[in-house]
Amino acid sequence: MPPQTSQFHTVTRETFARNPSDKQFEYPALQTLTYPHLKSFNAITECCHGDSAEDGLSPGLIERALEDIGQKVVFDGKPGGVGGYGNKLSMWVEEVQIGRPAVSERDTHSVNRLMFPSECRERLVNYAGRLMVKLCWRVNNGPVQTELKQMGMAPIMVKSNLCNIEKFSPRQLIDVGEECEEMGGYFIVNGLEKIIRLLIVNRRNHVMAVVRPSYANRGPSYTPYGCQIRSVRPDETSATVGLNYLSDGQVMFRFSWRKQEFLVPVLMIIKSLVDTSDMEIFQAILREDFDNTFVTDRVELMLRKFKNYELHTREQCLAYLGDKFRVVMNQAEDVSDVDVGKFLLQKVVLVHLKHNRDKFNMLAYMIRKLYALVSGECAPDNPDSPQHQEVLLGGFLYAGILKEKLEDWLNGIRMELMRDVRRNPASADFLDRRYLMKIIGRVPSDIGQKLHYFLATGNLVSSTGMDMQQTSGYTIVAEKLNFLRYLSHFRCIHRGSFFAELKTTTVRKLLPEAWGFLCPVHTPDGTPCGLLNHLSHSCKVLTYFARVDHLPRLLASLGVSLNVVNPEAGDLSVQLDGRLIGWCSPKLAERVARELRHWKVTGQHDVPLDLEIGYVPPSNRGQYPGLYLFASPARMMRPVRYLAADRKDMVGSFEQVYMEIACMDDEVDPKTSTHQEYTPTNILSVVANLTPFSDFNQSPRNMYQCQMGKQTMGTPAQAIAKRTDNKLYRLQTGQTPIVRPKLHDSYGIDGFPNGMNAVVAVISYTGYDMEDAMILNKSGHERGFGYGTVYKSEVVDLADARRRGEATRYHFGLGADTPRKVLEKLDLDGLPFIGIKLRDGDPMCAYVDDVTGRTIVKKFKGLEDGYVDQVRLLGSDAGDKECQKVHIRFRITRSPIIGDKFSSRHGQKGVCSQKWPSVDMPWTESGIQPDVIINPHAFPSRMTIGMFVESLAGKSGALHGIVQDSTPFQFNEQHTAADYFGEQLAKAGYNYHGNEPMYSGITGEELRVDIYIGVVYYQRLRHMVSDKYQVRTTGPVHVLTQQPLKGRKRAGGIRFGEMERDSLLAHGVSFLLQDRLMNCSDYTQTHVCKRCRSIVSPAATAVSAASTRRTVQCRICERDDAVVLIAVPYVFRYLATELMAMNIRLDLAVN
Amino acid sequence: MDIEGAGPEIAIRHLDKDRVNFVLSNADLSVANALRRAMISEVPTIAIDIVQFEENTTVLADEFLAHRLGLIPLYSANVEQFKYTTECVCTEYCSACSVVLTLEAKCTREGETVMVTSRDLQSHDPKVSPVMSDEFDRGIMIVKLHKGQEIKLTCIARKGLGQMHAKWSPVSAVGFEYDPHNRLRHLEYWIEEDAKKEWPLSRNADFEEPPRDDEPFDYNAEPNKFYYDVETVGSIRPEDVVSMALDVLQEKLKVTEAALQEGQTMLTGGMPGEPTNDGWNQPVDAMNAAGW
Repeated sequence: MPPQTSQFHTVTRETFARNPSDKQFEYPALQTLTYPHLKSFNAITECCHGDSAEDGLSPGLIERALEDIGQKVVFDGKPGGVGGYGNKLSMWVEEVQIGRPAVSERDTHSVNRLMFPSECRERLVNYAGRLMVKLCWRVNNGPVQTELKQMGMAPIMVKSNLCNIEKFSPRQLIDVGEECEEMGGYFIVNGLEKIIRLLIVNRRNHVMAVVRPSYANRGPSYTPYGCQIRSVRPDETSATVGLNYLSDGQVMFRFSWRKQEFLVPVLMIIKSLVDTSDMEIFQAILREDFDNTFVTDRVELMLRKFKNYELHTREQCLAYLGDKFRVVMNQAEDVSDVDVGKFLLQKVVLVHLKHNRDKFNMLAYMIRKLYALVSGECAPDNPDSPQHQEVLLGGFLYAGILKEKLEDWLNGIRMELMRDVRRNPASADFLDRRYLMKIIGRVPSDIGQKLHYFLATGNLVSSTGMDMQQTSGYTIVAEKLNFLRYLSHFRCIHRGSFFAELKTTTVRKLLPEAWGFLCPVHTPDGTPCGLLNHLSHSCKVLTYFARVDHLPRLLASLGVSLNVVNPEAGDLSVQLDGRLIGWCSPKLAERVARELRHWKVTGQHDVPLDLEIGYVPPSNRGQYPGLYLFASPARMMRPVRYLAADRKDMVGSFEQVYMEIACMDDEVDPKTSTHQEYTPTNILSVVANLTPFSDFNQSPRNMYQCQMGKQTMGTPAQAIAKRTDNKLYRLQTGQTPIVRPKLHDSYGIDGFPNGMNAVVAVISYTGYDMEDAMILNKSGHERGFGYGTVYKSEVVDLADARRRGEATRYHFGLGADTPRKVLEKLDLDGLPFIGIKLRDGDPMCAYVDDVTGRTIVKKFKGLEDGYVDQVRLLGSDAGDKECQKVHIRFRITRSPIIGDKFSSRHGQKGVCSQKWPSVDMPWTESGIQPDVIINPHAFPSRMTIGMFVESLAGKSGALHGIVQDSTPFQFNEQHTAADYFGEQLAKAGYNYHGNEPMYSGITGEELRVDIYIGVVYYQRLRHMVSDKYQVRTTGPVHVLTQQPLKGRKRAGGIRFGEMERDSLLAHGVSFLLQDRLMNCSDYTQTHVCKRCRSIVSPAATAVSAASTRRTVQCRICERDDAVVLIAVPYVFRYLATELMAMNIRLDLAVN
Repeated sequence: MDIEGAGPEIAIRHLDKDRVNFVLSNADLSVANALRRAMISEVPTIAIDIVQFEENTTVLADEFLAHRLGLIPLYSANVEQFKYTTECVCTEYCSACSVVLTLEAKCTREGETVMVTSRDLQSHDPKVSPVMSDEFDRGIMIVKLHKGQEIKLTCIARKGLGQMHAKWSPVSAVGFEYDPHNRLRHLEYWIEEDAKKEWPLSRNADFEEPPRDDEPFDYNAEPNKFYYDVETVGSIRPEDVVSMALDVLQEKLKVTEAALQEGQTMLTGGMPGEPTNDGWNQPVDAMNAAGW
């Protein structure tokens, strides 16, 4: 039996609402939902180890990025100086500062200089802080000079460490006009809330074996085999490199630089990395496994073939590389070829590793894995499996763009200097600070604006491509349609728009590897199905680096050989974050993995809980074996119970595949199970968890509910007075559901009601509930059932009306020439009265034109009447200008009408087809009349048993006045939900199965069968007829064709298309056909000359002295006796003239 | 109505302030249902119909407040003294067809929450005021005011019927049952094993003889005992609801009867071609009188 843990908590909530806390949030779980966004943004300026800042700070991402950008060098070409190139100017960015959002400096009125998010939303501006950059340079070896440059305003994530409300308590949040449980995690751009989407990318620093047929198209002797690794630098930017296998056994190293792809023999890279010998390379790849002739043959051949280059030493290889890549790498003139080569290796080859020796080992490992793949010793890794995936976090992407823009700026300065040196060598003087400032001033420096462009459009404008597969679709608007939709924006995770175009459906498949990380239920159906997933509610995305410096030592103490050069045959590699740290036998590896896990869970030896211990055991043609440890951020992890110590273990998506995690109690096998799920609902997303009794439903229905829950008219926000959204839907009479899961309480969904508890009878009554229609009780509706409101906004900006640079000529207000009627709606300030009702064409606001002295009245447009809800006067940033912009919010009442859409929480949607007066509704013996009647046919094929159970639970909950816990997986065959709730019903004197005798409202006679009636939570969906109906008798027509226009907005018609025409033809109803296609469309009459059979030749004669009557005469025959009037569609006339223009004569045979 | 011997009888089993439980016997099902329907939708009451806002700075929108006000039950014992607005001679509203109520509230103190309830509604007619269960009843919550919020409005309450809008319905629910033992077999119980075990008998079953197991099924039997449980919203006393509903029914029958008779005279004595009332207009006019 499910324990009765849920309660309505009405009093607690009331207390919290009246006295918001000064300390903690009421729903801490809610706050954690946006952590992937928030913490990743925080990492830009402060990176920490572990969950709390106390664990020790390390430089933020941007600081690391500056290190990676390095110095840019220019020469002035003057005689003397370094190496004959002239004076050497090297410059670099030393520091980046992002300030907290504050009011403009020009503002002289504000005492409190801080700016808060709600102000930005209301004023439709950006929430941004000043971006300052410290540019340093030195000439030759002279003193370092610095200049602080302002680079525009950088967008700031709400509630991040740069935000002004970062640590605000609920009470403070309310004081600054926020939601009391504000979660942050988004940017405010032009008043809109923008989120950087979470994207799925390849797991970092892990070699993946891939077989791609397209690899074979790269050139002769290329094969589909390859392996690749996405290396991530310490500043969270990445570079993917790969190996390609050629049919002769050679291996090419593939990398891309500035969106261009390059292929280099892998031995060239290996030999450039370290001073090495062929022997050493041979051993590093083979690892004492000399019996493996497949590999020995190929390595030998590869080494032999490389002799053709005649490059013997490391220097030679580097110089060769540097020579070939000097132009591509865009290096300064004084840099030697060897250094260019080194630069290439540093920037491109396995950038996650710092030391060349590590890179060498890793490359050798990659080659060996590639050979293993080719020989069939191991299987290719599936890039679509979450095992090989991680998350690209918004904050990290933001940092990457910032880094790139900074580098672009530096490069821009360099190019500008070079150009100036070339053009005006005389005036170029690097020692003159003013000269340098002049040049720097020419380079566009508004990085803030570029960041805003990125957030506003979601387009990534990048010179390097940033190792991404897409250039657009990075950001989304966080719509506050209702709370569930808002929430799921932060939890949604996209596979990348590249995969959306893919014809194969393999990427969309739900894989068992995703268990617990991605919700199997919460994905839309249709185009984005399977590509747009949602994180399970318990899944965490790491945003910090776990501390693992001591791990190699720890591993050594467990017996792992740290001697990476000469492993024994059959040994497995041990890798930590893509660095080869040692070797050990499979047996030992298993023990090490077990031991490490125990330590990490119990907190011994400082092994971080977030360490991922992926032990891939040797198998027959399975995944390539090894012990892979991960401690890096951006991984998905989730909590499960570690049985040996009965403590929480965090499990990652890589290791989970090889772990024994039992789900339910009876699945725990003492021999194998090491872990157990805390609860099976952990695998579901927040929204999917809110579907009551979802385990009783057919699975697609739960998917539909996840969609419909997000389309419901509910409570979008509590601070509705502070919202300026274009469109806001609100249910005025929301209720808390009687039947809800426990998570409903922990996420505080009660603060945002999404529907109503309705008495639902499942009965076919009067026929108006056929085909998914539903009948509403008119009296219920009159008492407020489903009453909703839509808020629409309108912005009037007088600056739009005048030309740029022109003096202010328009002012809000009414002039002397105002018509009397306008005064009924508008006040003297030219703005509408609050609360007044406006019809289509009524004045909405008015302003006076200085120049003409006339009053211009703006009209309200809309098919529906609106009440003026709020008028906002939007001032300028500095507050020193006259008000030129107003924001008017209208309230449109939407009480439910026939044609509006409703749904239960089980994917059972329906359209209201009739509102019966309550006397006509059936009733039960106690006089209860249903609010909603649905048809029994809605059930057999859809199998939403959960709805039946909810009905039972809701009924007994209502009778006993209790909350019913609807968390899925609480019941089983021994303890069925039907019995549990049936007993409650029986106790209240009702039928055990939830049926009741009912009486016909019309005759009063008892219905022949008893009816299933209970209480079900109903949602009102936002699709309403008022937004959709389209009718037309006559109306506007197209200028050219004279046919009716299309489009609801333009009062157009609905197309009577080809297929509709076909069906009328098939029916033989030609009169109807003519009526539709001609009489009601573009009917015209025209003259035709029967003799010359032309439609274009007849023309009206001029009025002459001879006759005042105009006749129509054929211009070719010059007579009028053969001219007749016929009816044709207007487009036909148009066609005739078009043909005439092409010298084609149209011959009409008229009888 | 087919009345043989004794006419319809009403036996009241329970009566209190807002509830009456009675048994109607010796009546046809159609009469019983007509009574039920009349109680729900055809007994007039008074409810707020028009709200004129002077000031509303509360968190609730005008139309939403108006809706809430409309649903507040008002004492309507003297509803018969009022005219329907449609019948009244006045242009908008007057004391003959409406009652004016005013509401004025303001919150001026920091940190205080003023609860505006139906008790704050000031009626101009002492007999028509918001329903209260007793003197301690705080009234129905209308809106809560924060500092600086104010509400000032005038409500015009009018006479109306439940069939126009649910706010005019004097009852919240009408329980209705007949044949608790299912002797007439109007209903076929859905059962898993045993109907007697699975279907709890209602309390009304005590008032009828349980059928014997060997009792033959009388397929000619008609229901003639109806159990009502009328719960009012408090605007009209429950016993009055019943009697007013009966009056409404009688009134309707009277009109129908008159119309039928007129039709009869027309058929028998009327001159052919003479313009007469066709017998159908009459009830419609009468219906108008009832406020359609």
